[in-house]
Amino acid sequence: MIEEIHLFGIYMPAALAWGVVSIVLVYLLREPLQRFPIYRLLWHPSLLEVALFVLLWWGLSFLADTFLHSWLAA
Amino acid sequence: MLHRQNITRSLATLIVLLVILGGIYALWLRYQVEPVTRDGKVRADMVPIAADVGGLVTEVKVADNQAVARGDVLFVIDRPRYRLALEEAEANVASQEIALAQASREDRRNHAMTEVIAGEQIEQGRARVDELRAKMGQAIAARNLARFNLERTLVRAPVAGVVSNVSLQPGVYLTAGKPALALVYSKSMRVEGYFEETKLPAIRVGDPASIYLMGVADEIQGHVQSIAGGVEDRERMGADGQLANVNPSFTWVRLAQRIPVRISVDKIPPQVRMIPGQTATVVVHPRTDGRSIHRSLPW
Repeated sequence: MIEEIHLFGIYMPAALAWGVVSIVLVYLLREPLQRFPIYRLLWHPSLLEVALFVLLWWGLSFLADTFLHSWLAA
Repeated sequence: MLHRQNITRSLATLIVLLVILGGIYALWLRYQVEPVTRDGKVRADMVPIAADVGGLVTEVKVADNQAVARGDVLFVIDRPRYRLALEEAEANVASQEIALAQASREDRRNHAMTEVIAGEQIEQGRARVDELRAKMGQAIAARNLARFNLERTLVRAPVAGVVSNVSLQPGVYLTAGKPALALVYSKSMRVEGYFEETKLPAIRVGDPASIYLMGVADEIQGHVQSIAGGVEDRERMGADGQLANVNPSFTWVRLAQRIPVRISVDKIPPQVRMIPGQTATVVVHPRTDGRSIHRSLPW
């Protein structure tokens, strides 16, 4: 389990790092997603972005814990 | 047609909302519930080494951060002075011995001539022998104490460990009982994880744990040895026997307190060095032994 990440001597919780990464990813994914008709299916299209952000955040944590960690330990 | 589209939209929105809530729940479990803490500290018991007898330090036999075995001499205190004290005590014993021998001889003579010597004088002689015998005992005890003190001028390591923060130099005057250097008891090395009380229900004694020192990738293996029996109630002041003095608090925000959980170290990778005071991340892996944890949800 990766619990903290350090950048230039500052140790921060891994959650913060994955959160920032997922914000950036969602921002980048916004434009391609808007071409899909799924946006017309929702009352509030921005909800999809929020969902995407939460899923990415959790997914990145999960992937980092399962893969990145064993790769680092190897 | 329009009506149907509205229903689809509502359904899709609802699903997306549920996905958001599910994701938040998963994140909450991952970061708030699983027994992980970044607030761990490597700890070891420390023995402050103090001299049992006072005096000038004449020799320091250890260097800073040196590993010592149990019984090794750490530093030496003014041996000549204590040797002189022992010599004095020995001379005292010898002088008492002579006095006792003389008194005994007189006593024996007195007893042999009971016709010419007054009973009172014989009694006095007898009492003098007893008194001198008692004094002899005192002198012997004083000599043994002097010998003991001389032995104690060699300050030895009571446990195996590493001496730390040694700035002692020959010439320093030490009073008895004043700590002169710190000895870290290596065997007591462990990690204390300060877990939020909200994470505590998942931790049981004996659970395996992984420890990661700050900046070290290798995993140190351990297990939960014990959980603290109590922590200070920070809201309450005042001694026993007085009325309770509870802090007036404005409790919009309450923070989980941290409870020390003692992790004993089972296996250290060869290249990893543990130093008391280091920061560590502790991950406890709850065993699947059919335990049930009734944990409150975020509300």
